[in-house]
Amino acid sequence: MGQLELAGVSRRFAGVEAVRNLSMTVESGRITGLIGPNGAGKTTVVNLVTGLLKLTSGRIRLDRQDIGERPPHEVARLGIARTFQNIRLLKEASVIDNIVVGFHRSDPTSFVAQTLGLPSVRRTRAGLEQRAHELLRDFAMDEYAQCLAGELSYGHQRRVEIMRALAVDPQVLLLDEPVSGMNDVEAAELGAMFRRFAERELAVLVIEHNMQLVMTLCDELYVLESGELIAHGPPEQVRNDARVVEAYLGGELC
Amino acid sequence: MTSWLSGYGSVLDLVLLNCGLALSQFVVLRAGVFSVATPALASIGAYTAGIVTLRTDAGAGTGLLAAAAMGTAVAVILSVPLARLRGVFQAIATVAFSQIVLSLALYATDLTGGANGLNGIPRLIGTTQLLLWAAAVVYVLICLSRARIGYAFDAIRQDETVAVTLGISAVGHQTLAFALSGAIAGVTGALMAYHNRSVAPEEFGFGMLVTVLAYVVLGGRRSVLGPLAGATLLTLLPELARPLSDNRLIVHGAVLMLVIIYLPHGIVDTLLIAYRRRATAAARASLPIDEVSDGPA
Amino acid sequence: MIAQQLLNALVVGSVYALFALGFTLIFGVHHILNLAHGAVFMWGAFVGLYAVTLLNAPFPVALLCAAVVAGLLSVALDWIAFRPLRRRGAPEFSAIISSIGAGLILMNVAQRMSQTRVMRYPFGTFPIEVYALFGLRVTLLQLTIVVSVAIIVAGLFAYIFYTGFGRQIRAVAVNERTASLLGVNPTAVYFQTFFISGALAGAAGVLIGIAFNSVHFLMGEPYMLRAFVVIVLGGLGSIGGAVIAGLLLGLIQTMTIAYLSSDLSDAIIFSLLFVILLVRPTGFFGSLRRERRVARE
Repeated sequence: MGQLELAGVSRRFAGVEAVRNLSMTVESGRITGLIGPNGAGKTTVVNLVTGLLKLTSGRIRLDRQDIGERPPHEVARLGIARTFQNIRLLKEASVIDNIVVGFHRSDPTSFVAQTLGLPSVRRTRAGLEQRAHELLRDFAMDEYAQCLAGELSYGHQRRVEIMRALAVDPQVLLLDEPVSGMNDVEAAELGAMFRRFAERELAVLVIEHNMQLVMTLCDELYVLESGELIAHGPPEQVRNDARVVEAYLGGELC
Repeated sequence: MTSWLSGYGSVLDLVLLNCGLALSQFVVLRAGVFSVATPALASIGAYTAGIVTLRTDAGAGTGLLAAAAMGTAVAVILSVPLARLRGVFQAIATVAFSQIVLSLALYATDLTGGANGLNGIPRLIGTTQLLLWAAAVVYVLICLSRARIGYAFDAIRQDETVAVTLGISAVGHQTLAFALSGAIAGVTGALMAYHNRSVAPEEFGFGMLVTVLAYVVLGGRRSVLGPLAGATLLTLLPELARPLSDNRLIVHGAVLMLVIIYLPHGIVDTLLIAYRRRATAAARASLPIDEVSDGPA
Repeated sequence: MIAQQLLNALVVGSVYALFALGFTLIFGVHHILNLAHGAVFMWGAFVGLYAVTLLNAPFPVALLCAAVVAGLLSVALDWIAFRPLRRRGAPEFSAIISSIGAGLILMNVAQRMSQTRVMRYPFGTFPIEVYALFGLRVTLLQLTIVVSVAIIVAGLFAYIFYTGFGRQIRAVAVNERTASLLGVNPTAVYFQTFFISGALAGAAGVLIGIAFNSVHFLMGEPYMLRAFVVIVLGGLGSIGGAVIAGLLLGLIQTMTIAYLSSDLSDAIIFSLLFVILLVRPTGFFGSLRRERRVARE
């Protein structure tokens, strides 16, 4: 039920191994954290899972089903959604249009109906817009529905990206630095939302540098350094792991 | 009176045909494919209809249907290799494709009449059919714009990586865009054949390629009205003054340069964006003050 | 006789190489597909002809003149058609459109100047001398062309790879932003690359003009199309690749025209381009600019 499993996953780029022999599990109902210094390969992992990069070796399974060879749009249709490290919204589109695009998977209208402009199209679209508004209300951003996505503040753009990912109706949610650039208050607010997602049985993976958030929020941590897994376990355990401390060069893990 | 009408009638015919070509070019650009295969696909449609009509007793309906089928089929086949390329290289590949079609048309003299083309095609269609065709294409494209497919096209065009992570099949949608483009170009080409009563290979060469691009660049690549506006304006412009008609190259060239540098979204899209800005400015005026963009965006 | 055809191939291929070099330089260094290159080539031919007919200049002087004027024209082209787009950070589609527009304007002006006639060099501009070399019939003109191209290519190679200026060009080819941070003045580099590109095209124009004794405003078109083939075949931004691919293209074209048909020749060449784009889109040789993503990952 929404369990994402990586086994011996590796990815090589022209002689450099960005990820080496990584095995990890993202369970539904829990928030899993993936942390590590810059360049450790965290985003590469997300790109591998979502099919944007090809596996050099290893397997990726969703609920026991092998998805390692699937193209990205199929992976998304199986219920894996993600956000991006540098926010990638469709800047020319409105906030609500950005979210509605995420509902692509839930739109069953036939090609013929769409070509002929049958009433079912308008009804479906209206329904999806409703759902988008509900999401916006959950995130307290309903007034921004018609704004151009490019004009929003950084924090709001991040939220729109998260809403778009939720629109996909995923079982697994991969968040790549979702609170970067936010102050502690905003970060905590989003953290609470992630907890709610987990409570709704989503499998949530959070990549983050904000240690305070990571330590309080995550049920389980994986630590990556230079593409290799160097520690794994609950936050208190990982925080005291010698290798982890060294990897961060004595920086605070608070 | 009738000569005045027929004078304008032929201009209207020309506008409608050019709108068809512009819409065919627009569809692929809208879906983020940099293909300029429209003239080649139109020539395939024109030859198909011409050959069908000249060699059999079939009427215009059969000819148009055959042209649509050929245009769609060739476009879909073309989309397969093109799916593996991106941007500029798609453009180069489609230019290569156009040259191949042109040289094959010149070579297969028995079938296509070679350099002389096909002649003596009966005039089976009139302004009414052209109007119906243009209206039908516009209707279908507007319907698609408002449906899932249209949203998917826009997403793929703006950021293909994002589109794909949302479950949108980029290859599937771009193949669809090609198919639509091929069908529209094929039928429009066939209509040109019936309208001009001939098919000449040089009609569908680099000149048409540039002109059709100019329609879409001038009018806009995003909304369906864009190519219509562009095609109408550029078709009517030479009719307004003799010097404009003699210096067609400069007019098209200047339009392309000036528009892409100073009005990059095209006339219609620029107007739509301005309208939208004003509408959202009103909405934003009522929002909390600190919500204006600050961080890295 | 095959050997005679091979000689033709060498001559034709050399000119293709010369034309393509300028084109690939701009594409390789700045990733701009300058579709006005053919028009600059044509203008070079015009200037060469006018230098001989109006100024009574000897041929070598006319050649030099044409190269310089074409070089400056090319720089002006960059200033007017590309720089405003660069400033704005416009996508590559815009630069292509702008170059098409500029090319059209240049062609139309030439059309007016020449009154759409085909112009010819006066008799005696170039001495008609034939030699017998290795059992082949070689004209002085053919010899001049091949030798000129060889000298120019060698000079270009030396410039790019053995001078400070050349190093700056290569730096910009890898990454313009980084290069400018390291003290390279991008404007100076753009000036050089466009000037060189234009000069090469201008020289090629004069050589072709005298070789076929025909100068007209549309003469650049077929060369542009061939240039696509050369740069894809030879690799983007690769000087050596452009030369070898140019020669190869000359060979393919000459052989197919001699032993098949001139129309099929086009179809074959462009099919080859198509296949190369799919199979090995980065061409057969290295490039001034290492990573160029042509196809999807």
